[in-house]
Amino acid sequence: MKSGALFLNRLGEILLFLSEVLKTLWKRPCKLELVLEQVWHVTIQSFPTTAMAGFFVGGIMTVQFAMLVSEFGASAYLGGLATSATIREIGPMLIAFMLSGKVGAFTSAELGTMKVTEQIDAIRCLGADPIQEIILPRFLGIIISSFFLLTGGLMLSVIGGSTLGILFAGINPQEYVRHIPTILGFPSLLSGLVKCMSYALVLATICTFMGYFTTGGAKGVGRSVVSTSVLTMVTIVVFDWGTSFLGQLLMAWFAVG
Amino acid sequence: MIQYKKLIKSFGTRTILKGIDLHIKAGEIVFILGTSGTGKSVLLKNTVGLMKPDSGEIWIDDENVTDFTEQQFLPVRKKCGMVFQHPALFDSLSIYENIAFGLRKHFVLPENEIKERVEQALSLVNLENVLTKRPGEISYGMQKRVSLARTVVLRPKVLLFDEPTTGLDPVTTNSVNSLIQNLSRKLNTTSMVVSHDMHCALKIADRIVVLDQGQIVDQGTPQELLQSQVPLVRDFLSEARDLL
Repeated sequence: MKSGALFLNRLGEILLFLSEVLKTLWKRPCKLELVLEQVWHVTIQSFPTTAMAGFFVGGIMTVQFAMLVSEFGASAYLGGLATSATIREIGPMLIAFMLSGKVGAFTSAELGTMKVTEQIDAIRCLGADPIQEIILPRFLGIIISSFFLLTGGLMLSVIGGSTLGILFAGINPQEYVRHIPTILGFPSLLSGLVKCMSYALVLATICTFMGYFTTGGAKGVGRSVVSTSVLTMVTIVVFDWGTSFLGQLLMAWFAVG
Repeated sequence: MIQYKKLIKSFGTRTILKGIDLHIKAGEIVFILGTSGTGKSVLLKNTVGLMKPDSGEIWIDDENVTDFTEQQFLPVRKKCGMVFQHPALFDSLSIYENIAFGLRKHFVLPENEIKERVEQALSLVNLENVLTKRPGEISYGMQKRVSLARTVVLRPKVLLFDEPTTGLDPVTTNSVNSLIQNLSRKLNTTSMVVSHDMHCALKIADRIVVLDQGQIVDQGTPQELLQSQVPLVRDFLSEARDLL
């Protein structure tokens, strides 16, 4: 009962924080160069990790599907099945997990340190709005770069799937590629992109919130970093279910239409 | 200048300030002394709106600022500069940009005037050749001085110092204390200094206020405090005499 109340309380705080950030974006947007600086930093820092994760996620899916489809004599569909499953489901989620451990943890630690060393109070005393000055550039920077990192990671997962499949599972490259457009339709691509966007929003909101409301010195910063990773991953799984469910409903609606 | 009327502030079930009544006159250097957790920093943070009191009133220059919004607090923060316990410098900016930060936010000034005021502020805290450096490239004591320069560059009427000498060696402590005294006299400001350091308070304060458990237990000039019979004040005094 108590933990339920705590959960609802935290959810309310996060939503209020998000509304404050969006209100600031609407009324007093931050400087574009601050956002671009964040986009550059996040992308440069995280591209190797997400690229590698994407490449091997694609490889894993291909190897797993290869074993199954060969049993049914449907090897021709391997490329389509593995790519579709990666782009619609596993790819965005696993890459987002990687980003939560890297970008999310880094941002909440950075903001948390600023909070416990009174830099955020100093910003207020010097006549600036900390949401506009430090939260908004990070929030937007993380959303933009995470979206590109996730979609870039997904592209690499397709390359990884085909390359590792060809090298280690003896798959015919032409056969692998031939049925990708048959199975991976526009709805699958759209589903993957919507997931990337929603995970980027989750990641940016949670890490900036946890960092901004850090209390309790170095220990508090540590707590914020751990909470950011755990909360982001749990929320991403919940959002994954939500977007999948919504996707099914939309596809059914389009099919009927 | 600054007046607190029956100020109460709690965190959860713990009441930190239990009805503070205090009047700081213009031009005074007032030291707020007390053990850790007695609400000294909370008092300063309430003054500039970084925290909101649960009840009571705060008056600055005959204006009740207690229920001011963040926007309404901007002019108050322009005239009440706060120096934090940590240097609280922005790591990603150079020393020059750190000091110019408040000037850019509070005023519309040409770049040459900003530069002139930044250099003046740095010379007031006896620092030079650090403008292009980052906070991480200078010592902690120098960072504290830069933090002081960042506040005085705004030419505030009130200076609020939150434990300005915590974490400093005795030599730097002495120099920061002299700076507080000199700046207050040179800039003709009112100063409130939160500290544990009775030795320094006796040397430079016009008035010393002693807080215990969220209440004022004694106050007066250094000479008056030397005659105090309040046990906490006696403890502070004996510690200060040990240092002499």
